[in-house]
Amino acid sequence: MKNIIVEKLTNDSLLTQLVSLYNTFKNVQDGEDLEFDLSKLTWISPLLVLPISAYINSTKSVSNLTNCSVLVSEYLRIINFPESINSVSKLEEAIQVHKSYIPICKLKKNFAVERARLESMFSKMIFKVIDASAPGFINAIYYPITELVGNIFEHSKKEEGFIFGQYYPNKEYLDICIVDRGRGLSSSYKEEQGFDFTDEKAIRMVMGGYSVKSDVERGYGVWTSKRVVCEGLRGSFILLSGSAALISDQGRDKIVELPNFYWQGVIVAYRIPKPTNLFDISEYVE
Amino acid sequence: MRKITQNVLKIADLIASIISSRDITDILKVAILKMDSKIVELDFSNVEFISRSAAHALILMKEDLQRKFFNKKKIVFINTNEYVSKMLRMIAANRVAPKSKPDFKAEKVNIINLT
Repeated sequence: MKNIIVEKLTNDSLLTQLVSLYNTFKNVQDGEDLEFDLSKLTWISPLLVLPISAYINSTKSVSNLTNCSVLVSEYLRIINFPESINSVSKLEEAIQVHKSYIPICKLKKNFAVERARLESMFSKMIFKVIDASAPGFINAIYYPITELVGNIFEHSKKEEGFIFGQYYPNKEYLDICIVDRGRGLSSSYKEEQGFDFTDEKAIRMVMGGYSVKSDVERGYGVWTSKRVVCEGLRGSFILLSGSAALISDQGRDKIVELPNFYWQGVIVAYRIPKPTNLFDISEYVE
Repeated sequence: MRKITQNVLKIADLIASIISSRDITDILKVAILKMDSKIVELDFSNVEFISRSAAHALILMKEDLQRKFFNKKKIVFINTNEYVSKMLRMIAANRVAPKSKPDFKAEKVNIINLT
């Protein structure tokens, strides 16, 4: 089993987290069994820890927490890394004990009602921990989560998806990550419409609102979610599939090539600063 | 199939208070078709939020059930909160006059240049 040392994050930007994710999975053959050594980490970010958790859950990989600091290993235990939580009752139990930490949740396609209830509870907990009173903000929390999680079960052809979030009260921002290990964007276009798109082109098509389904009324979920996050709330947004990623930050969109890297599936991560003013998502989602 | 005589389906009880995925319409459709009544009310009491995708799927389901030759159903949405009403209206309007989609442009960079 190949040993992967997960490098310490040098700062808290989403870009740094993306680079760390890239370095973690660079030169990995997809599906290869890995041992993730997290001992160098001094803090944990959703964009790094959720893909590792999803990878472990879909392979025979393991994590090694032996030399982790007490704080890091305790945090990982509280968020149920790497196993995750997959039922409403377990989530209720977990948040009774640790009210500020929401565990990694695994959502299952075949249990639609349980999945909807778990996702509902997760979203409500996220809103609760932010403790934001800005009117209308609740819809801005729910909108991207519901659209992006919904996409997993419409497009990934995989039975499960993962979601995790952390609010940082001192920094006053929320980080959310949503991950699947499904067929990915370019394969979705290929299998549904016969298009041979690179990962980069597939991301451009998604952001242009072209659904992998032939219905022109579809294809709104991802780019409107990005608008809510980036234009509405002045946050930042990452969409990664295969060997390419989109980074949207401070009004700029960049497509990043990821050489010697391949993520089977889709990773979405975004950061929302705590809002203070009235917010209406309508103008961003129409 | 055993028929049910009531004509109200409480969405929050049947599914959840936040409605996310399109596939919830599969559950609703089964429940609706079990009902005797030609008019079925989908009660959104305690539904806080509905995604754009689920609202779209719901409107397609409503149209589909109203178009059926056999076992036709008229679906009525009741007790929707302000946001859910707005979302359902927006989707219905977009079906009639679709809004344009974005002209997405992004510069291309290699991650090596970002590190």
